Amino acid sequence: MEEKLSILSDAAKYDVACTSSGVDRKGKEGSIGSAFQSGICHTFTADGRCVSLLKILFTNECIFDCKYCINRSSNDVKRTTFTPDEVCNLTIEFYRRNYIEGLFLSSGILHSPNYTMDLIYQTLKKLRCEYHFNGYIHCKAIPGADPELIELAGWYADRMSVNLELPTADGLKHLAPHKSRKNILNPIRQIQSGIEESQEVLGMSGGNKGAYWHTRRKLEGKSIEQKRQEDAARYHLAKNNTNGVQGKEKQLTLDSSGILKKADMQKQDLQTTDMHGLNTHRSDMQKSRIILPGEGEESSLIQSSTTGLSCLSQFAGSRGFVPAGQSTQMIIGATPETDFELISVTEALYQKFDLKRVFYSAFIRVNDDSALPVIPGGPPLLREHRLYQADWLLRYYGFMAGELLTKERPNFNVYLDPKCNWALGHLEEFPVEINKADYYTLLRVPGIGPKSASRIVKARKMANLNFTDLKKLGVVLKRALYFITCDGRMMYPTKIEENYITRQLLNLNETLPKHITNGEMTYEQMSLFQIPNFSGAQSSSIVS
Amino acid sequence: MKPVRIVQCADSVEGILTAVYDAWAMKYGHEFIKLQVIGMEESVNYELFSEYVLVEPNTDKADKVARSIQKKISNQVYGLVVKAALSNDPRKADAIYHFLVRGFLIGKGVVDHLSDPYVQQIFEMNRFVGNETHFFKGFLRFVELKNGILLGKMEPKSNILELLTPHFADRFAGENFMIVDMKRGIAAIHEKNREWFMTAFDEDQMEALAVYDEQENEYSVLWKAFFKSVAIKERENQDLQRNQVHIRYRKYMTEFEK
Repeated sequence: MEEKLSILSDAAKYDVACTSSGVDRKGKEGSIGSAFQSGICHTFTADGRCVSLLKILFTNECIFDCKYCINRSSNDVKRTTFTPDEVCNLTIEFYRRNYIEGLFLSSGILHSPNYTMDLIYQTLKKLRCEYHFNGYIHCKAIPGADPELIELAGWYADRMSVNLELPTADGLKHLAPHKSRKNILNPIRQIQSGIEESQEVLGMSGGNKGAYWHTRRKLEGKSIEQKRQEDAARYHLAKNNTNGVQGKEKQLTLDSSGILKKADMQKQDLQTTDMHGLNTHRSDMQKSRIILPGEGEESSLIQSSTTGLSCLSQFAGSRGFVPAGQSTQMIIGATPETDFELISVTEALYQKFDLKRVFYSAFIRVNDDSALPVIPGGPPLLREHRLYQADWLLRYYGFMAGELLTKERPNFNVYLDPKCNWALGHLEEFPVEINKADYYTLLRVPGIGPKSASRIVKARKMANLNFTDLKKLGVVLKRALYFITCDGRMMYPTKIEENYITRQLLNLNETLPKHITNGEMTYEQMSLFQIPNFSGAQSSSIVS
Repeated sequence: MKPVRIVQCADSVEGILTAVYDAWAMKYGHEFIKLQVIGMEESVNYELFSEYVLVEPNTDKADKVARSIQKKISNQVYGLVVKAALSNDPRKADAIYHFLVRGFLIGKGVVDHLSDPYVQQIFEMNRFVGNETHFFKGFLRFVELKNGILLGKMEPKSNILELLTPHFADRFAGENFMIVDMKRGIAAIHEKNREWFMTAFDEDQMEALAVYDEQENEYSVLWKAFFKSVAIKERENQDLQRNQVHIRYRKYMTEFEK
């Protein structure tokens, strides 16, 4: 058993998602377990990653031959398979000792996608119904499995995920020949509309609305109710209209009439840019052949699930369908995609597929295959870090992908965090007056985060704030000072000039987690070179 | 100049609230009052030119203060005060007193005065206590004893047992379990499908109890094997691990046992 567990957890470790968040569920009589909205970390491994769930593969047997994967069918590794009872027993006994928050069940493909999906479903069902487990469950939807089986698993899981793996169709074809855009996107869409329907019919809380949705809603100045109505309208249109383009037109008229009449000019502006943003992204994507469907392509690629949830009546009154939403993961650096492509896909996943989280996994070369790149400095951990920072900017700060990067400037400057990078390119928007600016303007200042921004908004009602106060409220002044004024004065007389501020910010030695520099790249080293001019069209990305 | 009067009290919610009551009743002038928890004095030396007053905990007085906070300020402020009183910050009694002075003056809006030093201290202590409670929801480990009871030991900095136990009582409603704060000698006892309660607990009782179930070793071995194999060698980073799970929390964590 110990060996089996070692093999099947070792094989599952490259899946980075280990969150147990997204659903609040009290304990239930006769059952063991509960779930906590923000999730709970139970320990941290030697690589500093959180362990929240018992993350295992059901089996590491696999008929697929994905080139980046340790379990590819052509690899000679020891193969083993759990039984459903073994998985259930381990989960319960680990859970009772408070080792874990729940189960994360993934799997290699044994015999066929359907056979594997059925095994996962049978295991979850057993765990919930026979072992009375009421804690957190995350499971994979196997690409290519029948929608019926995926749905059944979804009634027992809290979160489901289908890994996108690579952001372009080309990349997928190249490295994962058995997977296709179609059989990855179909289950994502199916789960999305299932959650939507379950939420509507069963009135379940939580659902698939992630932080991205809430941030956009607040930015657009809508109430939860308005946004829900809009979304419900969108969902019905999508359901009734197999023709995506027509649905989109209707949505547009709905937006500009009725609900949003009250919105003032600025908000309307924002909304139109939002729309345009979406459209340009879509056409961009088509050109760059990103994995997500482009204009008009959607209906042909994705079968819209008009049937909806087939077991709704049977499971009404249960936990609901995938109540904690879905997530996905992309591998960074195995194929030559740019950061812009990656965050555009991320944004589209939040906008169009209502994902809760998108995870990034720095490519680790576990197989010696000529199709895989050799990255000299080891896994591109710093690039992964920058992408996570950008992901946060999308979800909590109200940035759009197109603001952070453009086609002309498609990669992040790894030396600067994405927000500093953005601010330096938009100095005309600074300095920001701390005692006047609204929340979302404050959020765009380097050195101010959601916590300090909301503290500022609260505290300044009582008294005008000065720089000493800001420090106490948690603002990182050494970064923020170039971008803010208090009562019209800056902290020090300073030039608002791109190269000057860039130099100052680079000298700060941002405290990066040590591992992501691979012990090789430091700022000191960088000063040996010329300070790059970031206003130039091409900012070079070291790690790409 | 008037000498500062130092009001000393016991380290409990009741003790601190009693001291608040007595200090207030002295009408000595708030700015000349300083509260101090016995055993948490910032300097061992007695301060010159200060008067010391020792206050014994008194349930009636503490209740009165608790009720007025809830009635005249807000439940939120009462919650902040209780949590701060559970922290191990030596400034807590004094911070609570002066926070309440402002609270009774301003009302529930006192929580927005984030540039006030006492308000800041109260929030700081609340963050620490809240965070530590949250950590232990994950870091607490149970072992199964021969009689099927789950035993969890911990040594938190703040006195979080009362804040932590409801989480496990909900999650493990059908289990017999006990959580012991080894440092403070107190335990929370939960009997299957019953209300939990707190009690004093000492080393001798612990020794009599701590007979582990035979199967226990099996699961801890499996857990350790899992813990080892999920780490990715190429990403190893002990510093990050130390930041995330501080050494002081590891004492009773199965996976860090030698």
